Parts: sequence; structure tokens; C-alpha cells
Amino acid sequence: MADKLVADKHLRYILNLMAEKKKESFESVVMDHLRMNGAYWGLTTLSLLDKLGSVSEDEVVSWVMTCQHESGGFAGNTGHDPHVLYTLSAVQILALFDKLNILDVEKVSNYIAGLQNEDGSFSGDIWGEVDTRFSYIAICCLSILKCLDKINVKKAVDYIVSCKNLDGGFGCSPGAESHAGQIFCCVGALAITGNLHRVDKDLLGWWLCERQDYESGGLNGRPEKLPDVCYSWWVLSSLIMIDRVHWIEKAKLVKFILDSQDMDNGGISDRPSYTVDIFHTYFGVAGLSLLEYPGVKTIDPAYALPVHVINRILFTK
Amino acid sequence: MKQGPCSEEDCFSLLKQFEHVLESDPLIDEVGFIHPSQFIMLDEEASSSNVYQNEVQPNNGTSRKFWNKDHKLGISTDILVQLCKYAKHVFLLALDEYKCHGNISCSPCTPESEVMKHSQAVLLLSSDFGTAWNARKLILSKKDQLSAFTEELRLSGLILSNSPKSESTWSHRRWIIKMISQRFSTPQEIITKESELVESIGERSKMNYRAWYHRCWLVSYMEIEQRLMLKILESLYVKGGNAYDKSEARKIWKEELDWNKELVERYVGREALWLHRRFLSLNWIMYFACNDSDVSPEPGESIIINEEIAIFIDNEIQLLESSMTVPDTKFEDFQAQALHAAVYMLWLTKKMPELWRMLEEKLGTEKVKCVMSTIALERPSLLHHLVNV
Repeated sequence: MADKLVADKHLRYILNLMAEKKKESFESVVMDHLRMNGAYWGLTTLSLLDKLGSVSEDEVVSWVMTCQHESGGFAGNTGHDPHVLYTLSAVQILALFDKLNILDVEKVSNYIAGLQNEDGSFSGDIWGEVDTRFSYIAICCLSILKCLDKINVKKAVDYIVSCKNLDGGFGCSPGAESHAGQIFCCVGALAITGNLHRVDKDLLGWWLCERQDYESGGLNGRPEKLPDVCYSWWVLSSLIMIDRVHWIEKAKLVKFILDSQDMDNGGISDRPSYTVDIFHTYFGVAGLSLLEYPGVKTIDPAYALPVHVINRILFTK
Repeated sequence: MKQGPCSEEDCFSLLKQFEHVLESDPLIDEVGFIHPSQFIMLDEEASSSNVYQNEVQPNNGTSRKFWNKDHKLGISTDILVQLCKYAKHVFLLALDEYKCHGNISCSPCTPESEVMKHSQAVLLLSSDFGTAWNARKLILSKKDQLSAFTEELRLSGLILSNSPKSESTWSHRRWIIKMISQRFSTPQEIITKESELVESIGERSKMNYRAWYHRCWLVSYMEIEQRLMLKILESLYVKGGNAYDKSEARKIWKEELDWNKELVERYVGREALWLHRRFLSLNWIMYFACNDSDVSPEPGESIIINEEIAIFIDNEIQLLESSMTVPDTKFEDFQAQALHAAVYMLWLTKKMPELWRMLEEKLGTEKVKCVMSTIALERPSLLHHLVNV
């Protein structure tokens, strides 16, 4: 049982992971196609712990740029195909280092805008898969780059609203089952575009607060599933955006996250006593940030970046 | 799982063996990763006349890395890292070659066939490597035989046998079906088989969101008889788009309600069943139990409680009462049932404020308090804010 955040251990865990040049484990080999996401998770966690200075900015930034494709989009790793998933992470990483100015904003924003479909939805890449996650990514990314006017925002919003289910939640496309991850994306997109009035906050808030398991304090992603630390982010940030976070037992959730830490080696896992990974480490720390845990910087629930980073973007030309 | 370094020669040999097995048994329908110690056990179970045994044995007499019998393929876990890294490397080289030089080649191995061969190997080991799926899409989009696409369904099905939650694989299948329907019209047989595949995968891992979402996506390709409850509702309210007439829809809805009740009574404490009931009951009251002459209420408007609705609500209150009778506090399921039933009723009262009065009339103040305190035990913050608003 843990009673505090072992930030130093997490710092060491992340730095070791980022320094790992030769992949030795199967897990890291099968994940190298999403290294851009991994880098975002690691670096944002460092930033929240006020330790971003521990990594070499030049090394990271130059690696990120090697992942840019001629289409303007970014891939998950050098030489791989571009996709909006990695494009957002790349832009977020550059934002963390205050290096958005090195981007050819026109190029990146055109890549994303070009993926909007007739019905307002977004494809993830040229191969056409549609998912509300991609709507969020497009809106979040273009908002950071200050190019939201490149897409048809009204249609994008209408499409997202068409994915609203009778339980108040959202799925990946119209009619798909509500899922906390998809809900975060839809609510985040509506928040950024100023359309939260299209959400039934009481109804959705109810569905979201029912994700909490009373025993462990953890949150799950949809009914009947086990609690998982990553939902500390998706459910929690959604609740905050719709102003219903007081409907869950916050102290219990803090305890669940702290109990999921590896107190010896650092890192956070999906639930107590399981193996840690960078994904859950980020979501655990981000969740604690939303719960105002001392020593963790504030994170913006819609942009998933530290507030000081977002302020820097919003208040500069 | 840490593994030692592997020489270029060894990796090359491993990949060749792997690709050879795949080529020599095109009917492989299941693949998995097995611990080296299990090879011995599998060999003992298999008959000694395994025709592939010799072909899979490496020449230098080192231990077996691949196991293939009855169209099942096992890959030893101790070579996964080297094999995966090497296969990715070789695949990316082949892709580069294909993109730079097209499909021109002097040898029988065209750049295209190399890309297909190596991407297949990579994806069996690392199913979410999107770039490999994209390479196949690129090549397939230039094909005009249906068989090329159905073969692709076979490969992705094989990959799903080991990685049923692989999002990239499901996404690739959707692309294939889209292509088939655009170029060849949609043989319903393919859609039915696809739906069955989801079901069989869903059976093995019931909470697989990706699989069920795929089935949901398939609905738009199905003929009208196969459509789901939501589509029924939708079709009633799209002006002029009437696939079902109201009495038929009503009958189906009532059946669903009755079946849900049976399940709720039999499978005690199942949250999902109660959540589904919210959807069923609310829509029953709002759309079906209204008399034909009544207009369905707009959101926010009061519902006119006619006799049918009153009877329905009566029955729901009875269901609540019986669910809240906890015969044995030792079993979590009974307590869960009580909670779910209580929250279900509270949820309905939020949608239909008229329900409160009926609850108090039927149950009396004491019992209503009991319902509220059941909710307060597990969801104190929710109750606090709902009731005080």
C-alpha cells in the first residue's frame, strides 16, 4: 500500500526507457511503431513532474522531425507511414519544448484538414478508417497550430454529436457502444470548439461516475470491466470538462493510482500489482494532476498538455 | 523477455524458415507463440508421421523454432525478438525497393511479392504495425481479382487468432470489405461469414470492444432483416423511411423487454443488463406505450401517464422490490443486484419526474428511503448532488 507519489523513481524509469537504444524485449519491439506516442507520454509526464530538463531537447526534437512524411503528417517512427495519431503526438511534443516555430504549419495543417470527410468526420490516414478519436485529434492539433479555420468545424461538431448515444456517452462512430476513451475524445473536441452545450452533462456525468469501483476506487472504461489507471485520465478529464467531477469519490481514486505504482523501480501499471508501462505511468500522473495532487503540475483536461504550455500557446501570436 | 543478440545469418535463416512454413501450408488457420519447453510436449502428442517435421528442422541441428501440424502454427518465444526485428528490417527494405523501382524485376521474386511475403511475416508477429498493413493495401488496390481480397481476409483472420484485439487488423478487414463492396458488389455470404467470425472471437473474449464494434459497423452492409434495435427506433422516426411498421416494432420491443427481464432475474447482479433496461424502458414509455393518437413527448415535456404506462411502471416497481430483497448478504451478486435495480429506478425518475410520485405511492416512504440508502452506500457523491439539485 502506497501513501505517496514516488516521483524520483518514475523519473528514473522514464529516462531509462527513453535511453534504451537497442530494443531487447518483445514488448518494446512490437511497440516501436508507436514510439511517437510513447515519447509524448514520457515527456509529458516529465513535464508534469517539472523534470523536462532531464532530456536532451535537441535529440528529441531532431528525432521527431525525422518522422515527418512528405505529406506533412508524422509517423510513429522514422521510415514508417504517417497517421494523425502520431501527428498529434509530434505537435504536442514540440509544444512541450516550445519549438512549434520549427514546423511548417501550413504543411501539417493541410495534411490534417485533407482528412476531413464530407459528413464532417475524419479519417486517420489516406486509407480511410473513420473514428471519433480522429475528430478529436484533428481539432486538438489544429487548435494548437491555430488553424481551426482550415476545416469545417460545424460539420465536424455535428458528426461528433451524431455519435452521442442514449446513455449520454459517445462511441467511435454513430451507433457504436459508449466507451470512456471515445467519450474523452468527443467531449474534448466539443470543449475546444466551444460546443459543450451539446452534451447532456447530467446524463453523461451519471454514466461516467458509474465507472468507479467502490471497492478499489479505480475507474473502468465501460460497464462490467475491471478498473484501470488509464481511465483515471479519460473518465476524469471528461468529468472535469462537463463540471461533474464532484460526483466521484476523489480520495479513493488517488489511492487506487498510488497503489498501482511500482515503489521500487518506478512506473505505474494498470492496476495494483501488475507490470508497469509508460502508457499507464503517464495516465496515472495525469490523473493525479487532475486530482490536484501536490507536486504535480496542472494539466489541461482537453488538450492533455500542461496548462503552462497551453497558456504559452494561447497567449502568443 | 530478454533475448541475446542474433547474427545476421541466424536471423536470415529463421526468417526463411518462417516464410517457408507459411508458404508450404497455405491453410494455416491458427497461430500462437509457444514456450520452447512446450515443443517437446506438442511433438509427443503429434503422430510421428508429421510430414512437415523434416522441412522445419534447421540443417545445423539446433532446436526447433517452429511447430506446424493440422494447419496450426506455433512460434517459439525465444526467437520472437530477433525474428520480429529482422522481419521488420527486411520488410522496410523491400517496401523501399517497391516504391522506388516499381514492380520491375529480373528475378522471379518481384518487389511486390517480396513486400507481400515479408509483410505477412511481420504482421503475424506484430499485428499493429500499420505500415505493413498499408503496404498490402497499396498493392491490393491495384488488383482486380476477388480472390486477392478474400485471401487477405484469410490472412487477417489468422492474425486475429493470436491477436483478437488488434485494432489495425480489424481496420484492415473493414478496408477489404469496403473494397470488395465497391468493386465486386457485396456477396451477402461474405458479410455473414464476417459476422460469424466476430461471434467466434467474441465468444473467446467477450469484452472485446474492437470485435463488437466491427460487427456494429457490418450492420450497414447487411440486408434489412438483420438490423438492430436502434435501427428499428431510427426507422420509425425518419420521415418516410419506414422499414418497420409500428406494430411490428412494438412486438419486437416488448419481446426484448421480456427477455431482458428473464436475464436480469436469472443472471443476478449483471450491470450491463440493467443499463440496457434503462434504454428499453425509457423508449417503451416514450414511444411505444403512448396511444396512437398521442404524440411522443419532446425532451423536457411531461409524459402523459396512460393506463398502459401505469401498468408498465407498476411492474417495474415490483421488479425493483424483488431485486432489493437480498436473501444472502454473503454473495456480492445479490447486493450488486439491489444497487443496480435502485440506480435503474433513480435514473428513470430523472428522465420521468412523474415516476417519483408513483414510487412513493406504491412503496411508501420507508421503502423509498431504503432504496436511496442502498445507492448512498456505493455512490454517495452522485446521490448527494442529484438529490440536492
